[in-house]
Amino acid sequence: MTKTILVVDDEPDVRQSVKMILEVNGYKVITAVDGDDCLKKIIGEKPDLILLDIMMPGTPVGEVVKQIKETKIAFMSVVRISDARKRGLCTQDNIVDFFQKPFNVSDLIDRVEMILNE
Amino acid sequence: MDGNKFDIKNLLLTKINRKLTLLFMIVALVAPALGIYYFYISSVSSFPGTLSVTQAPLLRIVAIMIIILIAVDAGIIGFFVSRSISKPIRELYNATREVEKGNYDVRLDIKTHDEIEELAKAFNRTTAALGILQEERKEIDNAKTEFLSITSHELRSPMTPMKAQLQMLMEEYFGKLKKKQKESLAIIIRNADRLDNIIVDFLEISRIEAARLKFNFQETDLAQTIIDTTRFMEGFAKDKNIELIVNVDKLSILEVDPDRISQVFRNLISNAIKFSEGNSKIEISAELEREYILFGVRDYGCGLTSENQIRVFEPFFQVESTSRRRHGGTGLGLAICRGIVESQNGKIWVESKSGKGCKFCFTVPLTPVRKIRPIKILFSQKGVIERKIREEFKTILGPLGNGEFNELKNKNALGKDDLFGYVDSLTGQYILTPERGLDFKNRIEKIFGYEKDVINKKEDTIYNSLGDEVLKRD
Repeated sequence: MTKTILVVDDEPDVRQSVKMILEVNGYKVITAVDGDDCLKKIIGEKPDLILLDIMMPGTPVGEVVKQIKETKIAFMSVVRISDARKRGLCTQDNIVDFFQKPFNVSDLIDRVEMILNE
Repeated sequence: MDGNKFDIKNLLLTKINRKLTLLFMIVALVAPALGIYYFYISSVSSFPGTLSVTQAPLLRIVAIMIIILIAVDAGIIGFFVSRSISKPIRELYNATREVEKGNYDVRLDIKTHDEIEELAKAFNRTTAALGILQEERKEIDNAKTEFLSITSHELRSPMTPMKAQLQMLMEEYFGKLKKKQKESLAIIIRNADRLDNIIVDFLEISRIEAARLKFNFQETDLAQTIIDTTRFMEGFAKDKNIELIVNVDKLSILEVDPDRISQVFRNLISNAIKFSEGNSKIEISAELEREYILFGVRDYGCGLTSENQIRVFEPFFQVESTSRRRHGGTGLGLAICRGIVESQNGKIWVESKSGKGCKFCFTVPLTPVRKIRPIKILFSQKGVIERKIREEFKTILGPLGNGEFNELKNKNALGKDDLFGYVDSLTGQYILTPERGLDFKNRIEKIFGYEKDVINKKEDTIYNSLGDEVLKRD
């Protein structure tokens, strides 16, 4: 069965690029423009994985992830994982990975595949 | 004037005080003495018959007594009057010393209702103006750091979709590529990566300058960290067939940030690989000293001239202009290393002889520094000042100068006070004549942007010092 991935980023070019990468590799991709949009889309689409940018306008990502209990989340960010930890992110169990931007395409695919096969 | 601060004479009577008191006493003594003497003479000559033998000495004693009393009074009045002048001057002097130290909050409250009060008011205004300038300078400095940080972030975000698209093209997501297309794409990707590296380095520098550099201190087996880092770098060394030799003391478990130490090592080792000939070796060492750990990366490459030994730590400095093209890199690696090491109160330096390779050393104190202070890297005056001081060392101490300078630099003793202490020790050991020592100090002061203390002796010292040298050579 085709797995669904929700890509959340406020930058359209990043959204589209990640969408292209994942679609070529056989995933169904939906996108959201910010945290609130993300929460709305989860209900209807029930994605298997959320790729979530850490810094977005609107509701802080820290608040957004607290409302996501079931779905696996992987963060994407220009800041380093250590900075994200300092901000109190990355504490939940369903946060499974951290993609440092700018990411390497083949690395992204490998790791997404690994997460979804678990 | 200073130097004998605890001199009791200085404490009670300043020089002005002493001079004026003396002046008052002289004036007060001579004028009444002349007056009374004249009065005495005239009274004696007008009434020669009436003055008896006993009255004359009495009159004389009274006259002398009056003179003495007036003199003492004048002395006391003179003392207080002159003190009212010299005291505010001393206050002004102390205040200027404070300003010299960089304390622009100092204000004078002198109420003498004369020119000195006006001077004090002018001083207050000047100090306030200086304070504002200093404040502005700090703001510009912060704005620079802030600007660097913001632009780096802004520059970095377009890199994400750009690199993603380029990689997709390269991996033929959108169809097969011709050879020429692949070549062209490879060039774009390589340069996008380079641009990204520069942005990352800028971000790191903005963190160092704003004291926002993060350290994660943890109990670390440093020997293992070094071995892991070296293993990671072996991949790069293999291309030139360079052997990486690790020579590490048994280090106990220490509280450090292994990632930062690894970062510095990666930078130094990758530099060493770049500047080594093929088929050579690089030695990596770590020794436990009393208060710090001394790390070293030794290569057998082209080495550095003494001037370049300082300049390599300046941002964007490359030994030759062609070297950037040949060796790649952003030119910021060593500047960042310096920032990281100095953030932890460590030191970084290079020992080298041109053509004989070089050894980069850095120290990490055994106790981690948690309160990070800002380190200026871009547009810092430090490099320029150090270069000038090195020149003076060479001028004054001749061929010995370079070595002496390096030694002081390694001890991180290139502050003005450190250098003055060093010059004093030279004159104390009769290595330099006092005149030459003074000349040395004046030159150092000039580099640090201070006016010379001893202006009228300047010519004197130069002649003396030159005379010295000629004499010795004869």
